[in-house]
Amino acid sequence: MSTREAIAAAGSADHPTPPAASAAAPRRRARRPTVVRNRVPLRARLRRDWALLAMVAPAGLLLLVFHYLPVIGNVVAFQDYDPYAGNSAISALLSSPWIGFGNFQALFADPAFWDAFVNTVTITAFQLVFFFPIPIALAILLHSVLSPKLRAFVQTVAYLPHFFSWVLVITFFLQMLGGDGLLAHAIRALGGTPWNILTNPDTFLVLVTSQAVWKDAGWGMIVFLAALAMIDINLYEQSAVDGAGRWRRMWHITLPGLRPVIVLLLILRLGDALSVGFEQYYLQRDAVGRGAAEVIDTFVYYQSIATGNYGYGAAAGLFKAAIGLVLILAANKFAHLIGERGVYSKL
Amino acid sequence: MTQPWAGAATNRRHFLTLLGAGAAAVGAGGLLSGCSKAVSSRAATTDTNTLTGVLPKLIDLKVAIPAPDIVGVAPIPSAYSTWPSGITSVIPEAPGRGGATIKAMTPVWGTAPPGLANNAYLQAVNAKLGTPVDFSVQDGMTYADKLNAILGARDVPDLLCAPSWEVVKIPRMTSAAQALFEDLTPYLAGDAVSAYPMMAAFPTVAWQNSVWGERLYAVPNPTDGPFPLALFYRKDLLDKMGLVYPKTIDELFEVGKQVTNPGKGTWAFDDIFQMVQMYFKVPGSKDGWGLGPDGAPIRNIETPQFKAAAEFMAKVYKAGMVHPDVVGSKGADSKQLLQSGKIIFKSDGIGMWQGMQAEQQKITKGFKLAPVPIFSATGGDPLVWGDQDPISYTFIKKGLGKDRITELLRVINWCSAPFGTSEAVLRDYGVEGKHYTMSASGPVKTDLGFKELQNQYFFISGRRPVGGPQPATPTYNAELITYSNAMAPFIEKDPWVGIKIEWPAKFSANVVPLSDKITDIVRGRRPLSDLDAVIKEFKANGGDEARALLANALTNKGK
Repeated sequence: MSTREAIAAAGSADHPTPPAASAAAPRRRARRPTVVRNRVPLRARLRRDWALLAMVAPAGLLLLVFHYLPVIGNVVAFQDYDPYAGNSAISALLSSPWIGFGNFQALFADPAFWDAFVNTVTITAFQLVFFFPIPIALAILLHSVLSPKLRAFVQTVAYLPHFFSWVLVITFFLQMLGGDGLLAHAIRALGGTPWNILTNPDTFLVLVTSQAVWKDAGWGMIVFLAALAMIDINLYEQSAVDGAGRWRRMWHITLPGLRPVIVLLLILRLGDALSVGFEQYYLQRDAVGRGAAEVIDTFVYYQSIATGNYGYGAAAGLFKAAIGLVLILAANKFAHLIGERGVYSKL
Repeated sequence: MTQPWAGAATNRRHFLTLLGAGAAAVGAGGLLSGCSKAVSSRAATTDTNTLTGVLPKLIDLKVAIPAPDIVGVAPIPSAYSTWPSGITSVIPEAPGRGGATIKAMTPVWGTAPPGLANNAYLQAVNAKLGTPVDFSVQDGMTYADKLNAILGARDVPDLLCAPSWEVVKIPRMTSAAQALFEDLTPYLAGDAVSAYPMMAAFPTVAWQNSVWGERLYAVPNPTDGPFPLALFYRKDLLDKMGLVYPKTIDELFEVGKQVTNPGKGTWAFDDIFQMVQMYFKVPGSKDGWGLGPDGAPIRNIETPQFKAAAEFMAKVYKAGMVHPDVVGSKGADSKQLLQSGKIIFKSDGIGMWQGMQAEQQKITKGFKLAPVPIFSATGGDPLVWGDQDPISYTFIKKGLGKDRITELLRVINWCSAPFGTSEAVLRDYGVEGKHYTMSASGPVKTDLGFKELQNQYFFISGRRPVGGPQPATPTYNAELITYSNAMAPFIEKDPWVGIKIEWPAKFSANVVPLSDKITDIVRGRRPLSDLDAVIKEFKANGGDEARALLANALTNKGK
């Protein structure tokens, strides 16, 4: 999850209402009339910053092409979109009949959508509690290892699974914990009966979370390790001199030092609350049934991509983005209230 | 650590404020729903039996080899047991006129073959064609996803292969064909097809299936067998255990119980629910429809036969006879499980048989695959689902111009040369000495042959169905035709034969949710009694709409 994704996800809500946006703008200007930044002429600023601009250009272009331009496609959420109308993809977009909020109406009346919604929110909430803190704990643990060689080794081993695809991760779990896996055979060899780990809908939540932890906890740790490295070592030394124990040092120095990063990642995670991934749930869908494994992403896939009902899927995606945006804004507001900068801040 | 983000944060401020307003408008959607319309349904049927001026004329093709010696009962194609003499070339000049490289997309199941630059087989065939074909080979398991994506993006190659079982999953196929592919009617209808003698020999039913919106949009790859599915078993392993294949539904359960031994890592089945449905005589026409006792269309799940089949399959799952990998993940490779003896029975297309036998007998000594003859679970004659659909269709990109289209058709024609021609030998076996060695009983593929040949040209063409000899598996043709002839009398009659159906949008959208619910029942996550509720939901969610469509097609049939 990167800032860029969060912004792009939020960006999809932008398209439908330019008038409302422009209405908001004058109000803001009225409140704060003096714009200090523009004192240096544009040309001078260009001359001064051209190197920085050149450096940011590729990323900007990427953002534009792959995140902002596709936002236009969201218009199909308001259409009875027919990809084969007209004689090109653009003209299909222009000539598909406009049906207003018909797709949204159908979506909100669809109990299957709300099932997927509840599953997604449950999984996110569960992972927020049981997954989000793990990389922090791992980072703090690893940070206390003194040998740099050992630290580098553990770090590499821990983040390697991040590069495995979900197919591989699930196959790995299958080979280890499945009915024909290592654990089951060991239990049988000892005369026991293996239990269903991978096909129990009731414990699916724990299963997907442990898969996510196995895959991504090491990767998530890296950001926190970097943040830990930024904390002034003198603070530890001084507090140790003042008689602070290990726990007090962690509570008063380490965790406050990490707080900006924790808050930032928490906000971004919340913005992404309705995306829990696709492959992981798609692959294990038959194993535990739709009741447990249907999340918004798989819902969109089966109801939209697989059936060619693109407008419906776009409506679901737009709804997801709107919720994400609200969550980001709320979480950011909260961050400001507790004195953090959050993802963005006012001048 | 906070600096990089903090610096970027201020620049995004305005943008995010702007978005806030947009989000508010979306949130108000519920209030504005007064002015919204529902998505339209695009249901239609086309009766190809009554079409005129669209279908190509059937012109028989004479080849120099003697007639096949293993005779199939119609619609089973006959086959050769020995390599015939007198194989000659039937297409004297190269079909290509040196045009640009032809881009084609085809499916492959298993390992993808090397690309054009590193593939001597492709190079050899391309040299004969005069215009090279460059294949983009895609995973057959996820081919439908790929198809949907390229169709939706309107970005299709010159020649596109679409397997028939994937085409039925593509929504708005008629609009897609009209928008993206060349209408081949002017090139092939009636006598026009005589310019392409190999294609002119295709059975008419195959062409009937290639019609969308009353026009001919594809070259079919005629089916070489009328069965969608068979239950295969490892005869070698069953023999070793002193067991025989099941002939009744109770024996199936019994054998399943005897061969399942988790301690040894052996289970009986993969997901055999489709076969079980056949044993219980569940209707299977048009992907699960039949006629009820009152003559009205009835969906498979609504029949008492289906309920019995689901009950049996639930019993099989409950008894733990299905391999846990198959139960635990969509990604499980059940072919691999069968090959390694971790399962004994597997349901699959007939196409699996010869290829797996030829390859695995080199690896596992005594490896023997055989089909279980279909039986009736409830007495009387068995019911065998039929399938007259072509294997695949080849579509030509729209708007390439007459010269290019005739060139592409000539290339397809060349690739459609039937068994008994030197063109077919090159297409099916590659280059002698490289991809195969000639034995008394015919060509035997080398390792390079197995690696480089993956039916590439097969999937952009078709052929008059006849079984060529299989030197690697000499008894295969006789076994196949014995099985097929025995099953042929029991093939289900399709009430809608020759009628192409475009399903209502609501019905299509509910295919997966419906099968999810059935999966829940079969795997014991929901009780069997829930089936009635599922049927009710099915009727409300497009089921009755589809039924009306089918009933209407029956009434109008032949008019």
